[in-house]
Amino acid sequence: MRNTTVSTDQPQAIHQPLLKIENLTKRFPGVLANDNVSIDVRHGEIHCLLGENGAGKSTLSETLYGTYLPDSGKISFRGAPVEISSPKDAIEVGIGMVHQHFVLVPPLSVIENVILGTQTSGLHMHTETTRNRLAELCDNYDVELNLDAKVWHLSVGEQQWVEILKALYEGVDLLILDEPTAVLTPQASERLFSVLKRMKDDGLSIIFITHKLKEVMAVSDRVSVLRKGKLIATVNTTDVSKQELANMMVGRDVMFTIQKEHTDVGKTVVEARALRAKNERGEEALIDVSFGICQNEILGLAGVSGNGQKELFNVLVGVLEPTAGTLTLNGDDITFAQPGARMDAGLGSIPEDRIHEGLVMDFRVEENVVLGIHRREPYARGKRLIDQDAIRRFAIESIEKFEIATPSASQVSKTLSGGNLQKLILARELSLSPAFLVANQPTRGLDVGATEYVRRRLLDQKKRGAAILLISEDLDEILNLADRIAVIFKGEIMEVIDAKESTMEKLGLLMAGVQDGQAR
Amino acid sequence: MKLLGYRLEKRVEVSPLWQFLSALLALAIAFAVSAVLIAFAGANVGEAFLAMARGSVGSTSAFAETIVQATPLILTGLAVTVAFRGRLWNIGAEGQFFAGAMAVFWASAILPNLPALAMGMWVFSAAILAGSIWGAIPAFLKARFGSNEVIVTVMMNFIIHFILSYLLSGPWQDPASSFLQTAKFPATANFSRLITGTRIHLGLGIALVTAVVVWFLLWKTTLGYEIRAYGINALASKFKGIPPMRTIILTLAISGAIAGLAGASEVTGLHGRLRLDISTGYGFTGIIVALLGRLHPVGVILAAIVMGALVNGSLAMQITSGVPIAMAFVIRGVVLVALLTVEVLAQYRIRRHIDG
Repeated sequence: MRNTTVSTDQPQAIHQPLLKIENLTKRFPGVLANDNVSIDVRHGEIHCLLGENGAGKSTLSETLYGTYLPDSGKISFRGAPVEISSPKDAIEVGIGMVHQHFVLVPPLSVIENVILGTQTSGLHMHTETTRNRLAELCDNYDVELNLDAKVWHLSVGEQQWVEILKALYEGVDLLILDEPTAVLTPQASERLFSVLKRMKDDGLSIIFITHKLKEVMAVSDRVSVLRKGKLIATVNTTDVSKQELANMMVGRDVMFTIQKEHTDVGKTVVEARALRAKNERGEEALIDVSFGICQNEILGLAGVSGNGQKELFNVLVGVLEPTAGTLTLNGDDITFAQPGARMDAGLGSIPEDRIHEGLVMDFRVEENVVLGIHRREPYARGKRLIDQDAIRRFAIESIEKFEIATPSASQVSKTLSGGNLQKLILARELSLSPAFLVANQPTRGLDVGATEYVRRRLLDQKKRGAAILLISEDLDEILNLADRIAVIFKGEIMEVIDAKESTMEKLGLLMAGVQDGQAR
Repeated sequence: MKLLGYRLEKRVEVSPLWQFLSALLALAIAFAVSAVLIAFAGANVGEAFLAMARGSVGSTSAFAETIVQATPLILTGLAVTVAFRGRLWNIGAEGQFFAGAMAVFWASAILPNLPALAMGMWVFSAAILAGSIWGAIPAFLKARFGSNEVIVTVMMNFIIHFILSYLLSGPWQDPASSFLQTAKFPATANFSRLITGTRIHLGLGIALVTAVVVWFLLWKTTLGYEIRAYGINALASKFKGIPPMRTIILTLAISGAIAGLAGASEVTGLHGRLRLDISTGYGFTGIIVALLGRLHPVGVILAAIVMGALVNGSLAMQITSGVPIAMAFVIRGVVLVALLTVEVLAQYRIRRHIDG
């Protein structure tokens, strides 16, 4: 037993932290994920864990939640040392967690999902008690949620509420939220923040993992900055500026806004005319979508998630057939062209879901960097035989040029961080110098450094002459990068406006379907 | 999971060494289980296993017979490997095996007077074609209508089995015999002499060459790259322009072609004619061989030899210690179950708890 004495010059009840992490170290093969980290979380505070991807935020929280065991170090909860070796232990201790990827059962209802995680035995489901308690919680925090709705019917934001309610229902004292805003619109994030603050006032402690400085400033009381597994500092949020936090997080000075250069646009490269398409459930997802994009131009597509962006991306890259309309690229009709033919015609794409749509995670880095271009010279000889040497050379070149952090070109891709996976996709897609580049949420889930990098690359491409469609839910990003902005709402383009004349407010209203004061 | 201060943790990557060790572990488990069964049956376990070892690898002639048993398994194992690499669950290697064997009879019957070399190329080409067609049918149904290849390939096994039963009891039946079998193939379609004094036949050479071809296909060609990409992530493959329909059909056609070769190799090398019992479930054992061999040609060859030794050794075991040959099938089954279990376990590692 060591270090159990609490300094007596402070009143214990207030100052003894709820959670105390001392000298925690966690090593993975080849990586020191957490290096001697000590953090404490007080009663009733929102404590941000800030750091770039790969800084060790997730490892730390997964260790608290019992997914990993620390290699060394000590965790105390309410002053007593605890050993948490499974999520079940964590919940018993009083620690709950909402993961970035939800762990809900889609065909079950909200109530059933909550019961599933909590009821330990017995055949009978105590739906009524659960219902009452959940309804009470919803009421308390003004959350509107149909408790009988099947989870797959719910929006991502609503699913997140289910996860949070589940944790609260289990009666945790400390709630860990892993990048909760990654899936939310700006408005929904605001809403989440206000509810979290109320939960805090009710005595709940919250660990809020993020790499977005704006959120740290908006929501937290204190913030701990991690970099490369080490704790850089824990500070009171009111004592620091965004710039200071960014420098701590990245370890160097960071530029916030990228200067977009004005370039004269060239001839029209892409033209979509009255495109219509249906989503997976057979509902109209795109309704007469028309736009044109010229050389040296970025068209931003703003909108709340789920308003047809995904379907538009799929129609553009050729995996979803439109039910009406035409699409031309450099004058050629590609409305029904196969994905491969479109790539030959000059289309590059950065999918929203890089893990499932952009990469083969079990492939080596070098195999992924040629996915889709593997039949071209010089990577293939006569389209049939793989030229391993040429692929290796290209991979090494890409790793250098795009600053992809990987031990080698033959590393299995799934060990790379999100930012590096995105750079891998960029390296591949940009190697073709595409005439038309469509990027769907290209910086989602990326840290400050990688985000800055990706945005610069997009601007480079524009300067080179590419026509770019930037689909993003991040309005700052769109305002920063786009020359013109189209707003999509329920599958329709509400309006296309010049970026110079657009404001956050105007875009926000259009995204909510309000045009000229009229709601649609 | 927590057990006496130890617990399981998921591995990020399963190393080749672990894959190899886990395959060995599966075999060990299977033998342990069968030892219990043999003991239950009242036989002496040590004696039984000794007999099995003698009968499979104890002498040159015993080992040669093991190789004979392994030959079709190498081929069906490779057939399954290609399909499983593309995550297409071909359970129809058995039917494709028969398609190949039947093509040999048909081809040799319509052009019976070809010289030996031409005859060999002709009947094996026919077998490859027949196997690939039998494999491509479920592939087409899957690619076009989204039907489940597991069900269709299984059903295709029954279909060809009944077609063969019909043919052997009528149109193709040997007029000089009342058995359900065809007449002997022309002598030019007999490739039983590879190593004199043993039953090792040309099929072994074909199997080894095919293993090299499969390795080359999977790792050195763009098609192999596409098969593996499609197998791991069909969605990303589609997004990046790898056509799903072509990939599915080619994968299962190649898989079927290799299984067809297995059938041709057996009938031209061993039986010299077509019968219903030319396969003792080689297509199904091929699944175990492929999984035990970790979907890699080298592993498949080793696994096929192990399985061949098992069948061959069980014969000796039956003769000397009275343990029925059915024990070989029990072991085979347990290997599969143990493999699937070990497969999961290999993805985890055991960690000791640190003291709090």
